[in-house]
Order: sequence, then structure tokens, then C-alpha cells
Amino acid sequence: MNPNPQGPQLEENKVTTPKISLRNVTKTYSGVDQPAVKDLDLDIASGEILVLVGPSGCGKSTTLRLINRMIEPSSGEIIFDGENVTNSDPNELRRRMGYVIQQVGLFPHRTIAENIAVVPKSLKWPKDRIRARVDELLELTGMDPNVYRDRYPKELSGGQAQRVGVARALGAEPDVLLMDEPFGAIDPITRFNLQNEFLRLQSELKKTIVFVTHDIDEAVKMGDRIAILRDQSEIAQLDTPEAILTNPADAFVVDFLGSGAVLKTLTLRRLRDIQLVHPPEITEQTGRADAAAQLRQSDFPYAVLLDDTRRPIAWVDQKNLDSSDSLDSNSRRIPVKLQPEDTLQEALSVMLQTSAGMSAVVDGSGQYLGTCTIQSLAELLTDQPVDGASL
Amino acid sequence: MSTTNVVDNPETLPARRNQSVSQLDLIVIPVFFVLLAILLTVVWIYSDFDGTTTSILEPDRLWTQAQEQITVALWSTVLVIVLAIPLGILVTREGAPRLKNNLVTVLGLGQALPAYGLLVLFFVAFGQGTLTVVLALAAFALLPVLRNTIVGLEQVDKSVIEAGKGMGLNGFQRLRKIELPLAVPVIMGGIRTATIINVGMATLAYLIGGGGLGITIAAGLKLNRPVTILVGALLVALIALAFDFIGGLAQRYLRPKGLS
Amino acid sequence: MDGIRSWFDYLSSRTDLVVETLLQTLAYVVTVTVAASIVSITVGVLTRHNALAKELSLSIASVFLTIPSLALFTIFIPIVGLGFAPSFIAMFLYALLPIMRNTVAGLDSVDSSVIESAKGMGLTPNQVLFKVQLPLAWPVILAGIRVSALLTVGISAIATLVAGGGLGDFIKSGLARLPLPNSLEAIWTGVILSLVLALAIDVVLRTVGRFSNPSGVRS
Ligand SMILES: Nc1ncnc2c1ncn2[C@@H]1O[C@H](COP(=O)(O)OP(=O)(O)O)[C@@H](O)[C@H]1O
Ligand SMILES: [Mg+2]
Repeated sequence: MNPNPQGPQLEENKVTTPKISLRNVTKTYSGVDQPAVKDLDLDIASGEILVLVGPSGCGKSTTLRLINRMIEPSSGEIIFDGENVTNSDPNELRRRMGYVIQQVGLFPHRTIAENIAVVPKSLKWPKDRIRARVDELLELTGMDPNVYRDRYPKELSGGQAQRVGVARALGAEPDVLLMDEPFGAIDPITRFNLQNEFLRLQSELKKTIVFVTHDIDEAVKMGDRIAILRDQSEIAQLDTPEAILTNPADAFVVDFLGSGAVLKTLTLRRLRDIQLVHPPEITEQTGRADAAAQLRQSDFPYAVLLDDTRRPIAWVDQKNLDSSDSLDSNSRRIPVKLQPEDTLQEALSVMLQTSAGMSAVVDGSGQYLGTCTIQSLAELLTDQPVDGASL
Repeated sequence: MSTTNVVDNPETLPARRNQSVSQLDLIVIPVFFVLLAILLTVVWIYSDFDGTTTSILEPDRLWTQAQEQITVALWSTVLVIVLAIPLGILVTREGAPRLKNNLVTVLGLGQALPAYGLLVLFFVAFGQGTLTVVLALAAFALLPVLRNTIVGLEQVDKSVIEAGKGMGLNGFQRLRKIELPLAVPVIMGGIRTATIINVGMATLAYLIGGGGLGITIAAGLKLNRPVTILVGALLVALIALAFDFIGGLAQRYLRPKGLS
Repeated sequence: MDGIRSWFDYLSSRTDLVVETLLQTLAYVVTVTVAASIVSITVGVLTRHNALAKELSLSIASVFLTIPSLALFTIFIPIVGLGFAPSFIAMFLYALLPIMRNTVAGLDSVDSSVIESAKGMGLTPNQVLFKVQLPLAWPVILAGIRVSALLTVGISAIATLVAGGGLGDFIKSGLARLPLPNSLEAIWTGVILSLVLALAIDVVLRTVGRFSNPSGVRS
């Protein structure tokens, strides 16, 4: 068991005041005995994406809706920018936080531009500022303003509607975005694209984001930190995705991560983080006998064939060297070259495609840096046994 | 399409047209109007009017009756709108769900209420006169508008209201900017129905001394003058069709853009 | 209390008349609803593949509902005379729309994949209609029949004005004798028995629905 499920991040957060804090918050719906959220303490740091993830009905949406006071807490406090907003005007509070829901909820009788302008308008922005802001947001979310500005929501696909939903939430430049399964109703390919675009957007905007999902893969992908919740919004573990995947706090977290948890760490690690290995390097000029000797002395089944500018061309084994054919025609060519920024997940899939069980890593100019093998990945994974798995 | 999503729930099904206007409605109604107008002209020109018929069908008299009929129908419609829409809004606010559900059920059975009997009961209670007719008509035509206001507000996509709330719109703003505009097509359908009911019921106003073209029809019945009956009935039908057509146009053009 | 007592006295002193009038109204409701159901369902079925014909029949049926009841009850008198005939025709025309609209909606709502798979099993178009589409659309059609039946109860009170009988007789005679004794009781009899009859018809049709809906389909 990890003695501190909140992880090390909390200490860091104490240095800068959190953007949003829930203090001992409880929510009991009227007519229900059990609270939906019980004694929750949660700090959300400025500029981070905090993902709330957990099984259906565990209280994720309730927690999110407590933050912008769509529902009122039964007890406890909500602090926003150091100010206690538990009893402030909820409408004024909501205008300072963007809110995105799975069903999007665009106003069907308003154009796209009018939808995005709702909050700026209630804040009485001047007309031309609103118009400029609408176009800016449409550009930002990848929709051509000239095409979409005056359309109605019914003319949009699901993915486009949610782009507008995000644009609308960003309307009056809020510091905070609250997102409740925003990509949950969207087909997998579009969702994948929206997630990537959203991450790119966030790297520019640096908003404070609370993101609800029930999908652990989405949580790992989107979160700077993840809070894994169990019933009544109890925090089972709150930490970076990597820390949670490699060091789950308890059996519940292990269960929730599922059997793919170890493999998921591959999506978080990059080639630059691991030690590359160096099989023998040969060129067309290297004599065959010499090459064969090098290969035999090494532990590797293959040598890497480089061209004059040190670009990797093919994997060469003993059989290739024995035959009289030219090396680069008969051997296993290296079609995909990885770079240090690529994830281990990508390295793995390249290896599985080439059947050599290795992938070559090059620098920005294409020059060979070293090799990643299946063995090095396997060692990495088994080096970090899953604590909770034994429970 | 004149079919709608509430069609399988009879409690929420207004007797007449519901919410969207069929393209054909705006053609079929005028066609019927023209056919009945031709029939009226033919009857008028080719029938032999005896003295009694001539005096009953005196154009000035018919004109006065038509005006009475339309006036009564319009006032009652105004009264219905002023009463039913706020009431419908009130019972759909948070905190009154029980009231609303019971109301919708009762209003559904209200279709079986005989308009004739209601009119006579109002006469007993309030005596003779135009005001009594207006009140009786309003009481009857209240049902579709109230029902459609409730149904119209209830059918608004909850996630749209939720999104509005999330953007800091207060209850009144959500009602004015989201719920009412999106309920307009259904409410308009109710008003159109109410107008037609009012025009139709105003024909019965003669029974309690309220005037209208019913006088002509009744005279024809009493004196056994089929031509008189036909002329009266055709005039009433033409007025009703004209109002329905105007209602159809209003429903079509007051519908918020962007709704499918 | 006195009013209610005297009303019951009024009823019990003329049960024969009450039953007879009630049966007249019931006869209207049954004949009109059956005739309108046959016509409307047939039209709905025949036009199911033709959007224009479908829309046109619905539009025409809704024009009938627009025409004021006294006008529609009297317009046919020059041709068919007074009594049952003009009343029946008027109520029949009124009752068409709710059933037709629900037949169309019911048939439209049958999942096309269900129809596809029925065809795939080698059912003829007629078999698909009678074994798949109509049974699945039936709950919706029945809801339309219920609306038409209730509508007919309410409108049948007008029949008395064209000598067609029914519960409207009480209202008419009460109005004519106002303010003599028993006139008010007569009017209330017409109104209340209409509502009671509507309630009874409602219960019957809901029960029919419970037993005739294909199991697995709950409206
Ligand atoms: N308005 C409500 N009234 C009563 N109970 C509710 C309400 N909303 C949610 N709940 C209950 O509270 C619990 C948490 O719900 P929710 O926050 O929506 O869960 P999640 O978003 O994690 O699926 C569930 O048991 C749910 O049934
Ligand atoms: Mg949820």
C-alpha cells in the first residue's frame, strides 16, 4: 500500500495557492440517504488538467457540478482564486468558468456565433469585441469562421458541435474549464483527433481544467494529474498518470486500471528516457567476413546497416552475410525510424511490424543514435512490479 | 409533417394540428376555402329565395353576425393566451411536478367535455351576454394552450437548459432566451387550435343570446330552410378556414430559425 | 349537497330515458370510431410508401377538424336530411385525423431493420405488413382511436341540434326550460354523463390496449 494516496504533488501545490479548492465538501441529494460526495478535499493547481475518473455513479459529475455550483454543497467550502465562493452569486461564478458537457447543449435556435457570444454578451462586452472573439475562437477550435459563423447547430456533425461547445465555454476568457465527459458521445477516430487538438490548444492556453471521464485511457492521455475516485467521490489515488500506472495505491486502483495498466506506461515514457543499445554497425564498405565476425562476437542477432551519412537502412543477420546478394536488397529494411521524442508505445508497434524485434532511433537529421529492442522494453516493465497486484 | 414526437401519448395530444406545419396545409386549406366559396356562390345565385330566406340572408345581417362571431372568438383567444401561457410556465417551474402531471392527465380527458354543455352552464352562472360567451369559450379553449405550453416547455432538451445554467444565465433568462423560444412551435400549435375552437364554439353563442352566424343556421333549422342552413354553415366554415390559414402562416413564420 | 341530492332524484326518476340517451351517444361513439378506424387505417396503410399521398390525406383530414361543429353537422342536411345521418357524417369526418395521424406515425416508427430482416426471411410484403408492421404500430394506432373516441363523446352533444338525439338532449331541454325546476339538473346530466361515458370508454380502450398489444411492446 502506498501510505500517501495523494502522492508527492500535493506538497508542490502548497507552494503556489491552488486555483480551486474543495474543503471537506459533502453533497447529499434530497430524498437520498447516502451522500453522493462525502467529505471531499481536493486542490486543483493553476494551469493543470486534473482528470476525475472512476466507475459510473461514483460522483464525478456531482463533484464537477459542485465547483461551479450547478448544485449546492450540503456542507463544506469551495475556494476559487483564494476567495470563498460557497455563498457568492452562482451565476456570476459560472460566467468565470467554462462548462462543457457530453450532450454539448448548443442553443438550437441560435447561430454558432450567437452561441459562442452568450457569456460575453451577458458580461456586456462591446459588439466588435464579441465579433472578434467569436472568430478567434472558431479559428482556435479548427472551424473556419466564414463557413460556420452563421450556421445553426443542426448543420454540425457531433465532433463539430463539441468544438463549438468548447469555443463557447472559452467565450469570455475564463481561467477555468469544467468538462464532463466532453468527448464521450463521439466516435473513436474523431475523439482521438479532438483529444489531440485539445491538448495542443491547452499547451497554448494554459487553462485550469477539471476533466471528467470514465475511460482510464482518456484519463492517462489527457491528465497532468488523475484523481481515481471510488463511491461517494472518495479519492482512491491522486497523482500523475505515470505514478498511478507504475505504483497503484491499492487493489481498487489496480482493478480500475485493468490488465493493460503496465502496457499503458509505454504511452507515457519516451525513447529519450531509456538506455539505447548498440548492435554492430556496418556499411556497404565493411567486408563480409569482418561483419560476420563482429556479429558473432556481439549478443545481437542483427547488425545495423548504415549508409554513408549514418542513416540506418536495414537489419542484417548471418544469413544475409553468407549469401552473395547485395545487403540492402535481401535484408530486413528499416522503413520507420523513431526519434527520441516518440513514446515507447510507438517503438513497440514499430518493432512488432518489422519482425526484427528492434527499432532504430535517429536524431532530427536522420542520423543513427542507437536501437531499442523488445528486451529492453520487457526489462523496463518487469523492473517495476505493480505493488498493489499482490494484494 | 403534421405528425410529432408526442403522438403516442394521448394525454399530450391536442385534438387538432400539433406543432409543425405541413407544407401541404398551406395549400390544402386555401383549396378547400376556394371550393367552399364556389359552392356558396353557386347556392347563393342558383337557389330560389323565398321571402323568409331573403330576410334571414340579408347581407347586412350576415355581416353583423360574422363580426360578432369573430369578435367573440378573438377576445376569447386573447384571454386564453393571457391566462394559459403564464399558468403553463408556472406549473413547469421546479417544485411543481405533481401539479403538472395531474393537470396534463385532466386536460387530456377534457376533450370529452361537451362544449355545448359548458356554454349552457356558463349561461346559468353568468347570465346572457357577450361576456358570458367569451368566458365560456376561454374556459374551453384554455385546455389546448395550457397543455401545449406545458408540453412545449417540457420537451425542451434538458442539456440545452443545463448548458445555459452553466453559462450563468439565471432562471428568468433561461426561460426567456432558451425555454420559451424553443417551446414556440408547440405553443403556437396550441394557440392555433384554441382560435379554431373559439371560432367554432362562437357559432353556438346564439344558444345563449350571444349572436353570431349560428342565428342564421338555427333559423334555417327551425323554419326548415335548407338553403339558409347551407349558407350559414358555409360562411362559418370559410371564417374558420381563413383563421386556420392565418394560424398556419404564423406558426410557419414565427418559428425560430435553426429548428429542424 | 341539496343540488347533488336533487340531481340524483332527477336521474332515478327517469332511468329509462337516461339509459336510452346514453345508448344513443354510445352508438354514435362506437359506429363513428369503428368507421373512422377502418377508413383511417386503410388510408394510412395504402399511402405508407407515398409521402405526398400521406401528407395530402393528413392535411385533408385536418381541414375537417377545422370546420366548426355546428357547420359540419348542418352542411349535409340539404342532402341527407335531419337526425342520425348528418350527425354521423360530421363526427366521422372529425374522427379521421387522430387515427390517421397515429397510423402514419406508428407505421413510420417501425424500425426499418426489423422490416429488412422480415423481408430477409422471405415474408411477402403483405405478410410483412400484417405480421410485423401493423402489430408493432398497433399501440400507437390504438392511442389515436382513443383520442377519436373521446373527441366523439364531446362533440356528439351537438347532434341534438339537428335532431340526432344523444346526451345533448338533456342540455337542450334543460336550456329550453330554464329556469323551471329540474332544468339545471337536466343540463348537469348531459355534461356529467358525457364525462362518465368518456371515462368508461377510456378504461375500456386502455384495457383493450393491455391485452392486444404484442407482448414485448409496451406503449
Ligand atoms: N439529481 C440527483 N438526485 C438524486 N441522486 C442523484 C442526482 N444526481 C446524481 N445522483 C446520484 O448520485 C450518485 C453520483 O452521481 P454522478 O455524480 O452523476 O455520478 P458519475 O458522474 O460519476 O456517473 C449516483 O448514485 C446518482 O444516482
Ligand atoms: Mg456523470
